[in-house]
Amino acid sequence: MAVLDIEHVTKVFESENGGMSVLEDVSFSVKEDEFLCLVGPSGCGKSTLLKIVAGLEHANSGRVLFHGQPQLAPTPKITMIFQLFGLLPWKTSLENVTVALEVLGVKKESAEETARSYLGMVGLEGFENTYPHDLSGGMKQRVGIARALALQPEVLLMDEPFSSLDELTAKNLRSLVMDLRRRSELSTNTFIMVSHNVEEAVFMADRVVVMSPRPGKIVGEVKVNIPRPRMSYLRDPIYFKYVDEVVSVLERGK
Amino acid sequence: MVTSSNCHGSEGSLPRSFVKNLKSPTSQRLSENPRAQIREPGHVVRKATRAAFFVAGICAIATAYWLAMRFVDNPEISFLPYYTFRTLVRIALTLGISVVWGVPFGILASTNKTASVILVPLIDLLQSVPILGYFPVIILFFVSLFHGSEIGIELSAILLLFTSMAWAIFFGVVGAVKGIPVNITEAAQGFGVTGLKYTRHVILPAIVPALVSGCTLAWCDGWFFMIAAEYVVYLGATYSVPGLGSYLAKAAYVYSDLNLSVILLILITAIVLYINFLTWHPLLEKAATGTYKPVLRVGLSGLGKLAAITPRVGPRWLRIGDRVHRPKSIVLASKWLKRYTSMEKAIALTLSLIGIFAIMYSAIGQIPSADVFEQAFKDPEFLNLPIYVALTMGRLTVAYVISLGVALGMGVLAAEHKKFAAVFYPIYDIGQAVPILALFPIFFIYFSRLFGGRIGLEATAILVLVLDMIWYMFLNVVGAVKSIPSEIREVGRLLGFKGLGRITHIVLPAILPAIVTGSILSWGTGWNTIIFAEYMPYETELYGGQPLELPGLGAYLDKTGYLPPPKGNPVRLIFLLGVVATIVLTMEGLVWRRLLKKFEKYRVEI
Repeated sequence: MAVLDIEHVTKVFESENGGMSVLEDVSFSVKEDEFLCLVGPSGCGKSTLLKIVAGLEHANSGRVLFHGQPQLAPTPKITMIFQLFGLLPWKTSLENVTVALEVLGVKKESAEETARSYLGMVGLEGFENTYPHDLSGGMKQRVGIARALALQPEVLLMDEPFSSLDELTAKNLRSLVMDLRRRSELSTNTFIMVSHNVEEAVFMADRVVVMSPRPGKIVGEVKVNIPRPRMSYLRDPIYFKYVDEVVSVLERGK
Repeated sequence: MVTSSNCHGSEGSLPRSFVKNLKSPTSQRLSENPRAQIREPGHVVRKATRAAFFVAGICAIATAYWLAMRFVDNPEISFLPYYTFRTLVRIALTLGISVVWGVPFGILASTNKTASVILVPLIDLLQSVPILGYFPVIILFFVSLFHGSEIGIELSAILLLFTSMAWAIFFGVVGAVKGIPVNITEAAQGFGVTGLKYTRHVILPAIVPALVSGCTLAWCDGWFFMIAAEYVVYLGATYSVPGLGSYLAKAAYVYSDLNLSVILLILITAIVLYINFLTWHPLLEKAATGTYKPVLRVGLSGLGKLAAITPRVGPRWLRIGDRVHRPKSIVLASKWLKRYTSMEKAIALTLSLIGIFAIMYSAIGQIPSADVFEQAFKDPEFLNLPIYVALTMGRLTVAYVISLGVALGMGVLAAEHKKFAAVFYPIYDIGQAVPILALFPIFFIYFSRLFGGRIGLEATAILVLVLDMIWYMFLNVVGAVKSIPSEIREVGRLLGFKGLGRITHIVLPAILPAIVTGSILSWGTGWNTIIFAEYMPYETELYGGQPLELPGLGAYLDKTGYLPPPKGNPVRLIFLLGVVATIVLTMEGLVWRRLLKKFEKYRVEI
């Protein structure tokens, strides 16, 4: 059964010089336990699509269904990791996670306890009282991941989560996300990631949905059947076969 | 203290411009496409609106003048057009002098290392002296030079205006030249563009936007200090030059005519708004499309040397929500702050004051005798100094708290809701165009009728201070709220912050650095204003021809500066100015610098 149904979503940004069409009739579904990756050139509206799913933006026409119900406003069941981490600079790592829980009505003590355990899970023990200003990019994104997972969402949206990190850090964080996903204690198992990095998409996703340049349309999708964990397949011809396939779909969409 | 303007950064705008600012960057990029511009009907509409405004404005102002001259009963009312002309010419002339002085010196100070080591700190210190510090010497100098003829008074008025207008241009030029991107400098060197060629092709285009905004600021500063420069009571004599400012002062103090004062104030405000709209608005708009983004208000502030940089980028005036530049301004500001310690600055300021006085006094052959030194601290009032300091600080604090509260509320609402913006921005536009010092006599007449002289003066002082401080806060708050990165806003919505929680967890912390910047500016301008606000040297017939004063440091400074000896005393004046400088710098060191350092971490890094 599909967790999310994106049905004929169209988005136009109004401007002084008329509308700019960003998304045109985009439809696809995301199944439970699926890791879906949206790939496309810059400016194709994939981030906008993610925001519409999160309830931060609204489609001009079409709709997003979450378990069959229209998804129109932010809900803790669907949460997000941001490209630039989205941490509140005036709060420590711990406070950044705690405040997200407190807004939902969790008591301060138990919110802190939960926050500590998730920060530990992403490898940030000892950095609870550090401000984002004093954390490296990778560590900031770890806080972002901890905050998102602490809310125990059903769906985790990731908006180019590794593209502002150096490759080595990005690699570590990708593995971290894949490891966390394998853990059974997490309630989160449906992922949608936006990326413009084909290798990253093939490494992480079960299914890669390819979008065209603006206005964004779906040009095709590639199911990635590489066994997990995929670390050992990074030099395997099968990995490159999928990468080539996604690239050729991207080329077709131009 | 210092050259504070009531223009707070040269903006002023119509609500429409804010709507424009809210648009995504993409829409801007589209409008830069020449084809899109041709198709854009808004362009033509804007031109037509401006032309219509030009004609309607002239008609409205002419009608207002005719009405005023027809119905106001005052012996001088028929001179109104002449006074307007004189004031306009005076401010324009001073602006011209400021540009002619500021551009070469600014370029020199920003390109030559030796010059920058000497010029920048020196001018920084000079602009830190409250305008009052220049009064006695300048007037004495010119009046004795021209044997009391009108030309001497006119020149001293122009020089007084210059001491409030010139810095905006100098620091604007310095900021612009220093803001030339390194890659452009390197490219120029690589292609052998150096020396005069470099000045012609790189520096001059780079400073144009800063010059436009600097002129706008200076122009506003000129209107702000006009009333102080055109009408001076010094050593018991009145020195005035024909102009709107002196007429307004006379309306209040000589004629005690509330109606006339209000009419004049409205006329002045209308003229300021009209000229802003017709010249500075389009010029700024044009300048903003130049090669470099305008670097504004660099270093234009009080003793704090706090770069009041309110960068305005983009097609319209109040382009304050600039995400890329604002954090830089805070970094720059804290760098400025770190350069000298408070003590160093206070000592240097006092020394330079002594230097200025010494040069001016020896130029007119009136070096203070030993008596003057002896009398300086024998004044019976001198013992009250601690109380005076406390009272003045109290007034400033009350005004600051009021303006902080109101500006915070107004600013957040205006930045977040278009409906409030539609109300508050026009209020801001008009409010910042009113020369605050010109409001003083009007409030005073009104309040003194209401509460009597003393309380009336107290209320006037605080209200004028609030009106003076509030726009800095408002501007900074609006700018900061608008520049909260969209990602932070999205996080707030995603996590479910609403209402008060959103304000306390997202909005307030995000704008804290801007509140500190606004506070430093507010206190700076507040110090300059309170020197005028605590003392009424003018003998209004309403109160038996006695000068009125509020006990405080400002009034004491006034008396020391304006009154004949033994109350007036140049040595004590320097000492008291040094006291003000020490207080301002101590506050900077103890409060603002620490806060800025703390909030540095709150910056959202993009």
